Amino acid sequence: MQSINAETLHPQRSLGQQFSDFVRYRLGRWIVLAITTIFAIIVVAPFAWTVSTSMRLPMESFSVPPQWIVLNPDWSNYTEVFNQVPFLQEILNSFYVTIAIVIGQLCTASLAGYAFARLEFPGRNLLFWLIMATMMIPLQATIIPVFVLISRMGLANTLMSLILPALPTAFGTFLMRQYFMGVPKDFEEAATIDGANQIQIFARVYLPLVAPGLAVLAVLTFNAHWNEFFRPLIFLNDPSLFTIPLGLATLKGYMMTGSISVVLAAVTMSLIPVLIVYIFGQRYLIEGLMMGGVKG
Amino acid sequence: MISKQSTGISRREFLQWTGIGAATLAVAACAPAAPGAAVGGGAAAPAQGKIVLRMQVDPKQEQPVVDLYKQSHPDVDFDFVSVSGTDHEDIAAKILTLVASGQALDLGYAATEATQLYAGQKLSAPIDEYVKRDAADLKEYFTDVHPSLIQAMMFEGSLYQLPIDFNAANMYFNTAVLKEAGMETPKTDWTKDDFYNVAKAATKKDASGKTETYGYAWTNRLWGSWMPWIFVNGSNLLTEAEAPGGEWLWTDFYAGDKAAEGRGGGYRWLAPQANAAANVEALDFMVQLYKEGITPSIELGGGQTLQGFFTAGKLAMTPAGGFWAGGLANAGMPDGSFDVQLFPKWVNQRHQFGTAGQWLFDQGKNKDAAWDYMKFRISKDAMMINGMFNPVTLTTPTRRSMLTEERFAETGPANWQVFYSTLDDHPDTAPIPAPPVSNAMTQLFVNYTSRAMNEELAPQAALDGLQKELEDLYARNPDMYKKAN
Amino acid sequence: MASVASTTTAAPRSSRNPFHWITENTLAGMERRKALLGYLFLSPTILGILVFTAGPVIFSLVLSLFRWNVFSPPEFIGLANFDRFFHDSRALMSFWTSFVFVVFAVSLQLVVGMLLALVIQSRMVTWMRYTYRTAFFLPMLMSGAATAIVLSYMLHKEFGAVNYYLGLLGVPPIPWLSQPGWAMASIVISYLWLSMGFTMILFIGGLTGISTEVLDAADVDGAQGLTRFWNITLPMVSPTLLFAAVTGVIGGLQVFDLPYIMTYGGPGDSTRTAVMVMYEAAFKNMEIGYGSTIAVVLFVIILGVTAGQFGVGKRLVFYQ
Repeated sequence: MQSINAETLHPQRSLGQQFSDFVRYRLGRWIVLAITTIFAIIVVAPFAWTVSTSMRLPMESFSVPPQWIVLNPDWSNYTEVFNQVPFLQEILNSFYVTIAIVIGQLCTASLAGYAFARLEFPGRNLLFWLIMATMMIPLQATIIPVFVLISRMGLANTLMSLILPALPTAFGTFLMRQYFMGVPKDFEEAATIDGANQIQIFARVYLPLVAPGLAVLAVLTFNAHWNEFFRPLIFLNDPSLFTIPLGLATLKGYMMTGSISVVLAAVTMSLIPVLIVYIFGQRYLIEGLMMGGVKG
Repeated sequence: MISKQSTGISRREFLQWTGIGAATLAVAACAPAAPGAAVGGGAAAPAQGKIVLRMQVDPKQEQPVVDLYKQSHPDVDFDFVSVSGTDHEDIAAKILTLVASGQALDLGYAATEATQLYAGQKLSAPIDEYVKRDAADLKEYFTDVHPSLIQAMMFEGSLYQLPIDFNAANMYFNTAVLKEAGMETPKTDWTKDDFYNVAKAATKKDASGKTETYGYAWTNRLWGSWMPWIFVNGSNLLTEAEAPGGEWLWTDFYAGDKAAEGRGGGYRWLAPQANAAANVEALDFMVQLYKEGITPSIELGGGQTLQGFFTAGKLAMTPAGGFWAGGLANAGMPDGSFDVQLFPKWVNQRHQFGTAGQWLFDQGKNKDAAWDYMKFRISKDAMMINGMFNPVTLTTPTRRSMLTEERFAETGPANWQVFYSTLDDHPDTAPIPAPPVSNAMTQLFVNYTSRAMNEELAPQAALDGLQKELEDLYARNPDMYKKAN
Repeated sequence: MASVASTTTAAPRSSRNPFHWITENTLAGMERRKALLGYLFLSPTILGILVFTAGPVIFSLVLSLFRWNVFSPPEFIGLANFDRFFHDSRALMSFWTSFVFVVFAVSLQLVVGMLLALVIQSRMVTWMRYTYRTAFFLPMLMSGAATAIVLSYMLHKEFGAVNYYLGLLGVPPIPWLSQPGWAMASIVISYLWLSMGFTMILFIGGLTGISTEVLDAADVDGAQGLTRFWNITLPMVSPTLLFAAVTGVIGGLQVFDLPYIMTYGGPGDSTRTAVMVMYEAAFKNMEIGYGSTIAVVLFVIILGVTAGQFGVGKRLVFYQ
């Protein structure tokens, strides 16, 4: 963060001034990094606890001081997960539902966000507010009528019942609208002069420029729906359709008789796909961010 | 839509109106004619002659029973509505949504907390006629089940469920912790003072006075929190009365059984008495244990953290039922590391329990077939292979004959006999108070308990507050015990 | 859609094509095309929302005028539910609780998220940046329920890891989950832990989008550190800030799983949020009408707050 300006480039800075430069720029920097590192460790701690508890029997997990490193990992908790619930099937179900929702939302949100940001039509503001308003009712209040709807469509107890209602997204629309609004109008004007039509402007000019927004939306949506519990609970009856969060609830057991280590083993396993998505999304995010940063 | 004569609208009309109003486009093309009809969701229409029973169950536990049943009843199919493993709240939310959307179930599964609720709302159907009709088949079952469990499943003179599992709050010990304190597993007639001595001896504090090992802990909820202490102090949260009726059951099946004498048509909890002197005394005792460092701070929930600390040897005693035999085994505690005893005696040794069983949906289409399955499920063969009791005991079976040495040989506890002697030797043992408004009541109970335990309110003040709110609750629901008639 | 490039003059009326009002090569025509495109682009979202959200929302609003316990038919009682609500001290209290929660949670989200984004975007070795970013984003991957379970163990007053390490620093054991004030702090901290990755990523996106030319120009002018942040960076990320604030508030007012499982509203009522009261009314006490009433009030409040935020945004947010 060293500022390059006329003053600091001057060759004749005295020792004292060099020292104060050091304090201001280097030492400050190190302190910031140290604090951030400590904070990072604290933030990651619950994960470490989750993983280490999953590798032990519950009996051994609550000693004080807490043991972070497990010397003799006991993998039986992991196999036990597969014994108690059809975990593999649940993983596949979760994938299917989540990926379908992400792709669907990317489509609807980019279209709608662009419309609100760059297209003009009567009622634009009203419609935007209407859509925003729908974000403001908690899920639990509308679950009954949504379920009635789903049943009447014959979709109860299917994975589609989770996907279809989640395709339109007020949040995603809002997010993409903000990103679209952040793109300078020069690009559009240049393209219009070059003879592009509306669709080309959308697809060739704007869409690539909001790639970071799309990446963010994808990661967030994946996350949110991967971990969703209430809708699958209500909509799904058949255990072979269950998603991972329902499996976790099953593992907890009636009156919490399930072993916490088994539950945490399942939690650990369910983190892996999301983590992979994040890592991949991160790479794309970087490229997208870099692309967005380059101005011609 | 709103009829001019009355303000009631049939649920179907209401849903239909709103459903259509909101979704003409998408729904019109593919919706069936009326809600609730044939929306089984995903399942193909049953073949000719096949009956499909829709049951609310845990499929993994139920599957062996279902398989066995199908061997003799090949023309019955089962649709599981699975709410496995989630807590009461989630189950209630799901069932409610199903009912609200007009979907019919055939068989549900409910515990004491919901028995009177469903019965009072006419959601569950009384099984009196069926029981009388098949009395010969059921005689054996009733001799094997203690009458208090049966009475807990009665409401206003009729029987609604056949109890299949139960849990009374006994006292569990971590034997290693006790041993270290130089104490032995107490005897059946141990008293509150004995309890206090054990708890005190087992509590270990470090140099600065901070407790390292606790003598006694409990989880804040309705069953098994400090409710057992209310009971053994000869009191209850609500006043108790007996509903009339039910003689047919007692004379037919429990003639001559002393434990069935004087039993009527089900429990009635008519009024709150939260701030009765005995209750205040019990709460005082709990707070005192906390102040002395014998009990840790009380947290809410289902008891999972508690179980963790018990298994790690940080806790000596806690109230729990037969479900911990399996639960502790699952948590890795070997046989012999824990044991159980009756709850200590104070004014008396009256225990509290909760019990559960299947119930018949009043609006179900296949009542006869459903009853047949219900009957099958409580047969000894079916219960023996039910996933609830097999391979580990995840909850206490209601059949006396199933509580054997063999059952607990691998997991322990050594003192397993107390599970049923809680009923046999103490026939005054009763269910937790669970009137039709038990959900709201539990919330209030838990709320005020936590405020007393974190010293925000003195016990007397907390219970006075609770009393007032319970009175308001009861005032809002005056017809609880008249509705069914 | 017709291409912009056609240059024919208007044809005589008799041979005009029937869709002339969108295909004609005039400014008005272009605007109409744009509008039509707008509607087209919006149609999947609007349709979906109408069917799956608006309808159910209306259902909820209407239901607040009824008493319905699911098993018997709904009974119209007009505004009685609302009257009850405004006299229900527990319900009113829960809105205050939600408010307190949101104020703390969202402020912290924004501040912590921004600080983290600033640090991560500053010059450092790439692998360090990746590591930090992953570390802080990790909590987002956990579900609310799992977080509640794990953190309630770690925050246990006597046996939890947090108090153990604090104890090493000489801090007496904190009753994280058993004292009212601390319980609220626990919920806020847990929620922050869970969601700060979100704001961090948003701000990273926003910060990266700041044109380097603008930053270079600022450098040449001698702006450093705080001045640069306040006068250049902050305005440039203000759209993102608005977004984070709005969604943060909306989300914070609706959060359910985490507090429900962690403290169940307790101790007492200290962490009972509005959504919890709504859920309990509907699903535990089987008063669906009353639950809907609470939902309506919550909805109106969220609407108002969001409108307010947008209003403030109009003044303070800088769009290019």
